[in-house]
Amino acid sequence: MHSQSLDAMAGNRPKNTAKKRSVSLSYRVAVFLRFVAAIMGGYAFTSVLISLLAVLLPLNKLDSVLLTTTLSVFFYCCVFIWVFAVKSLKTVWITILLTTSGQLLALSFIKGWL
Amino acid sequence: MKESFFRSMAWLHTWVGLLVCWLLFLIFFAGTISFFKDEVTIWAEPETHHVKQQVQRVQSQAEQINYVFAQLQHQAPNSLSWRINLPEPRNPILSYGYAEPKQPGQRRAPFNYTHLDPNTLEQLPAPRDTKGGNFFYRLHFDLHYIDVFTARIIVCLASLFMLVALVTGIVIHKRIFKDMFSFRANKGSRSWLDAHNVSSVLALPFHIMITYTGIITLIFMLFPYPAETVYEDGLKQMFEEALPINKRAKPSEEQRPLIAINDVLDQIYTKSPNADISYVFVRNANTATSQIVVYLATGKDVVDNGPRYLFNGVTGELEASSGEDWSASAQFYDSMTALHSGRLAEPLLRWLYFFCGVAGCAMIATGCIMWAKRLRERLKADQKPSFGLKLVETLNLATLMGLPFATAAFFIANRLLPLELAERADKEILVFFLAWLAMLIIAVSGREKHHWRYSAWLNAIACFLVPVVNALTTDGNWITYLLTKQWALFGIDSAFICAGLLFLLQSKKIPSHKTVINKAKSNKNRLLKEQQG
Amino acid sequence: MMELLQFSLCFLGFNCFALAKFNHFRDVFKKKLTEKQRHSFLMSGWITILLSLLLSVLNDGGYGALLFCGYMALSVVMLMILYSFTVSWVKYVSVLTMSVLLLSGFSVMIL
Repeated sequence: MHSQSLDAMAGNRPKNTAKKRSVSLSYRVAVFLRFVAAIMGGYAFTSVLISLLAVLLPLNKLDSVLLTTTLSVFFYCCVFIWVFAVKSLKTVWITILLTTSGQLLALSFIKGWL
Repeated sequence: MKESFFRSMAWLHTWVGLLVCWLLFLIFFAGTISFFKDEVTIWAEPETHHVKQQVQRVQSQAEQINYVFAQLQHQAPNSLSWRINLPEPRNPILSYGYAEPKQPGQRRAPFNYTHLDPNTLEQLPAPRDTKGGNFFYRLHFDLHYIDVFTARIIVCLASLFMLVALVTGIVIHKRIFKDMFSFRANKGSRSWLDAHNVSSVLALPFHIMITYTGIITLIFMLFPYPAETVYEDGLKQMFEEALPINKRAKPSEEQRPLIAINDVLDQIYTKSPNADISYVFVRNANTATSQIVVYLATGKDVVDNGPRYLFNGVTGELEASSGEDWSASAQFYDSMTALHSGRLAEPLLRWLYFFCGVAGCAMIATGCIMWAKRLRERLKADQKPSFGLKLVETLNLATLMGLPFATAAFFIANRLLPLELAERADKEILVFFLAWLAMLIIAVSGREKHHWRYSAWLNAIACFLVPVVNALTTDGNWITYLLTKQWALFGIDSAFICAGLLFLLQSKKIPSHKTVINKAKSNKNRLLKEQQG
Repeated sequence: MMELLQFSLCFLGFNCFALAKFNHFRDVFKKKLTEKQRHSFLMSGWITILLSLLLSVLNDGGYGALLFCGYMALSVVMLMILYSFTVSWVKYVSVLTMSVLLLSGFSVMIL
């Protein structure tokens, strides 16, 4: 259903459109979960990444906060696209969870929250 | 997620596009109009149309500030907040206001505004209650009828999807340089794709910039975490460090006279002799903790927070300044808001911004239409349209035809609603949404070609009505604006006339039912002849 | 005047890029594009566009860079219309652009 490139859409349709396409519930759920991973997982990852960077960057407080906050959108966008570029959704979730918690751990040590 | 990176990006591009395209069209549409929001506000307040732009705008500022200060001392010596808006290149009115005491239950103290003709310092009659250009400005990020925080989160998410759509669009547009100037007309889906590609590519730097910087304007709401992590007192402390002039002193009961404003102005003019002052604020006037804040104009600099000075209101001493000596990181952040709002833009650049915004609307609109066409092409001859297809087509007609129609209705309502109507500004906005609803009803009733043609006709009529109603209800009209060189008013009337002509063109281009049947007949005859011959 | 010079340089540059493509060259000149011609069109295109950018930035800094992006957008849409609907005009428009360029260039230098 969604694998047609834009060229196909313009009129050069592949031969398999004659086959009946069914959109299964599992496919819909998989797509939904991928968007959740991209939006919420991406948000969590980006939030922790920029907070960690803000603390690590060798700039004064205001500058590091402003710089990391300005770059946040760039990071979020990259993570979002990466989520859809990876084949396995499990890989996506595991990577996000591991990297986010890893960074959060590092941040906690640096800030002395633990 | 698909077999190849390319296919995944193609899938992602079409799906993030589909999920938010109608909201994005609203954002881009209202945002593009907002580039001329000052001009729209001028148009919406005919009571101020006779005010001429000053010849010596900057040189008259000291005299104007002195005069207004005298007025404010007389009218509201104990108000907690005074505000003077000096005339700008795009807004010729001098206005000032003071905060009235806040009533219980009010979120903010109401402001009492007076408008003056800057050339004569005479008071102008209060303009009609209208939001003018500010309606469209607020609409594109605060939406309407929902609370501001929710609206901004939705807009941020939609803008993120837009950014992803732009990036994936670049990835999948393999022939981006080969096809830059290609547009094949009258070839059905191919033409729509070409239109989508051209409108995206020609203003690609603008689209990426406006989307990225748009999210940045709301970034501290979205990602307060770096500030909260680095500063003990979080976001509030960060803003105080960045903009010390915003630190409001607590009101005091002790009465102390306010310093003569010329003392403050002298200090500013010593620093920068040709200073162009935009605003003057006074907090806690005539008390021990009074403060005077002066904002200078940013001109063509790519900055949002220009030079701003905080003076002690009793001694006249300069206590804080911001906007000078920004570090590289601060300038990087600050330039983002400046780029997005385009306040720095003078007429040529402003029209180029507007043109790119229109290209953005075209990009989104062609995207919406291609989705509907793609769903319809998948439909077999005997199949009924799915709910998804009906939804997409309905939203397309309602949004793409409805928003221009609602805009024209808003401008007409501005002229026709009675001046003494209670909550007039909100009623104008209600007319906007009612007109949009009317178009939605048309869209729900059907989405054939003739529905599109009727809505094109409706739009053309509404657009032509705007300058006509304007001529009938105010002293001026399109021709007199040209003769008296009132470019803001001429521009807006002209824009509606152009839009009307474009909608007329659209209605002519959409084939009528008869034309479709005749074409089908002639095709059938041709095929039969070929078979026989 | 300066803006006209900057824009005409940008427009001419993109026009050269357009003519460096086989289909557009064929539509205008009815001949096949040779490699040598393609190279010279590309070089001229890059030089004039970069010159336009340089002039814009030297004149107005960041503001000039923004103007340049606007010139690019306007050039592309005008050329798209030109090459898709009125290919026969390309030669005349190119000559017109070059004249505007020279005239505005002279007035900028003299005034």
